[in-house]
Amino acid sequence: MVAPSQFKQLEKVGNGTYATVYKGLNKTTGVYVALKEVKLDSEEGTPSTAIREISLMKELKHDNIVRLFDVIHTENKLTLVFEFMDNDLKKFMDNRNKGNSHKGLEMDLVKYFQWQLLQGVAFCHENRILHRDLKPQNLLINNRGQLKLGDFGLARAFGIPVNTFSSEVVTLWYRAPDVLMGSRNYCTSIDIWSCGCILAEMIMGKPLFPGSNDEEQLKLIFDTMGTPVEQTWPQVTQLAKYNPLLPPHMPRDLKQLLQNNTEEVLDNNLVDLLHGLLQLNPDARLSARDALNHPWFAEYNHAN
Amino acid sequence: MSNQSDLVLSRPYLTKAQLQRCQKYSIPDRRAYNQKRLLVFKYLGQLCVQLKLPRKVLEATMYFYHRYHAFNKFETEMCYDVGTSCLFLSCKQVETFKRIGEVCSTALKVRNVPRVTPDILDAFKKRVIQMELRVLETCSFDYRINNEVHIDEFIIKIGRELSFSYDCCRLAWLIAFDVLKLELLITVPSHTIALAVLKLACELLDEIKWPNVRYNLFETDAPSFNEAYFDILNFYINVFDACDLKDHDAVRDLNLKIETFIEIKKNAGLEYGLTVNPIALDKDDYVSKERNFGVKERRYVLKKDSLLEESVSKKRSISDVS
Repeated sequence: MVAPSQFKQLEKVGNGTYATVYKGLNKTTGVYVALKEVKLDSEEGTPSTAIREISLMKELKHDNIVRLFDVIHTENKLTLVFEFMDNDLKKFMDNRNKGNSHKGLEMDLVKYFQWQLLQGVAFCHENRILHRDLKPQNLLINNRGQLKLGDFGLARAFGIPVNTFSSEVVTLWYRAPDVLMGSRNYCTSIDIWSCGCILAEMIMGKPLFPGSNDEEQLKLIFDTMGTPVEQTWPQVTQLAKYNPLLPPHMPRDLKQLLQNNTEEVLDNNLVDLLHGLLQLNPDARLSARDALNHPWFAEYNHAN
Repeated sequence: MSNQSDLVLSRPYLTKAQLQRCQKYSIPDRRAYNQKRLLVFKYLGQLCVQLKLPRKVLEATMYFYHRYHAFNKFETEMCYDVGTSCLFLSCKQVETFKRIGEVCSTALKVRNVPRVTPDILDAFKKRVIQMELRVLETCSFDYRINNEVHIDEFIIKIGRELSFSYDCCRLAWLIAFDVLKLELLITVPSHTIALAVLKLACELLDEIKWPNVRYNLFETDAPSFNEAYFDILNFYINVFDACDLKDHDAVRDLNLKIETFIEIKKNAGLEYGLTVNPIALDKDDYVSKERNFGVKERRYVLKKDSLLEESVSKKRSISDVS
């Protein structure tokens, strides 16, 4: 099907390491789109992040995952055409914080966003795809309160369990302790940890574990969640970067910690869900589907 | 360069007839192409060994190589560059990333290029990178095929499911290496190939009878399966000398000869596979028209609905204007 050039490029809306994003208009359908213009590296060719994003997102069609409509090749430029979203969760939360004061989201909104996040993640996992970079910047939202997973640049498909995955995945603050300690055979649990961190961040209005390097990140996690031992996490001592000299900590009261940072009254179901998502032992973490069936989401589950 | 936009629906697999139609424009000399294809395969195999890459890289590479030549002219002096570019891309695809410098310098070594200067290496790197996008384009940026499970992994999965012995699966795995040379890679999906090589392995070993497999349980169908099975058999019958299987230590006891495969084919029943109506073939622009890379904006979609949605909107806007 040959027709005149389809998209009108509008203002720039973002700039990433491997792409620049513009708002665009599909002149035929009148639909706004996001045009992600891939920077072709003169040294390494098409970035592998772009390759992953194209390969995985084209397969995923779900209300809580940003749609990739098509891929355009013009001369030496590669452009990915995505569904347009107005905002991301990071900017949305930043706009509500004034100066140094942190303000979490209203509990109804937290629940609605978390529900949608878990729906998107469950769909990915059921289609054998790990996102591997879940963080508020990659959760796109629109004016109707819809939340969608975006940026699949680090995502990968998992078919047969293999132990060759990279440990350089997930932005530090949302990275699971097993990955931080060098595990390379992680699976869906890697995304679940990130979901837990994001839930806590939405409640508190600030990140739960804002470490600046791997060691500090682990320290922050263990300070709050307790230092793992073989009894609570079998084989933890076998992980490549396990440090036997870690100071032992008992888990802190998560409810109290969150309550100190929010005006909302926290219920026990929420804290129980958070515990399920933030289990240090990846095998003990909830699956996305289990999390969606958790009593905290009873009102959504009953509505369905 | 035209200022138009071209919307293309991805078709990751083409039947033999469709492929031949495409190659009418891209491969003027079939014999030269086939000879070179085997040489390039050998070269890519050596490159994978040198770079310590798994077999799935070679599988993805050959898929890309065959696809490239379905839509781009085959040129003898370019085919090693095309092969190297396909391999470089496959490394990204299956997450066994290698830097372009390492790929190109090893490639030049494997090809015994004398006196490699930095200029020669740079020029080679440039050609490989430039070709990468063209390879991606011939696949419509569609990675569903090489993304998850590969033939060798399917052999294990299906072999286990059908309770085949280790020896049978191993033999199937060896046969599957020869299959990578064939255009079958772009004709049927990898799980169908795995099923076909398992059947052939069963027959060669003669230890278990091939069970009455319900193809739909394995997400395939009888024409696709037979397409694969007979294509592989024909390869061993027609170009036995080009196969690697016969030279493998593990199959020495089987004393494989062309006659072995002729005998199997005799007992295999009527040869059939995937067919296309010749009239439909003539009307199919995707295979019957030479690809116009001069169109400035070339857009690629995976689903038919995207194509339909846009043509409906277009018709609507035309009728609104009139």
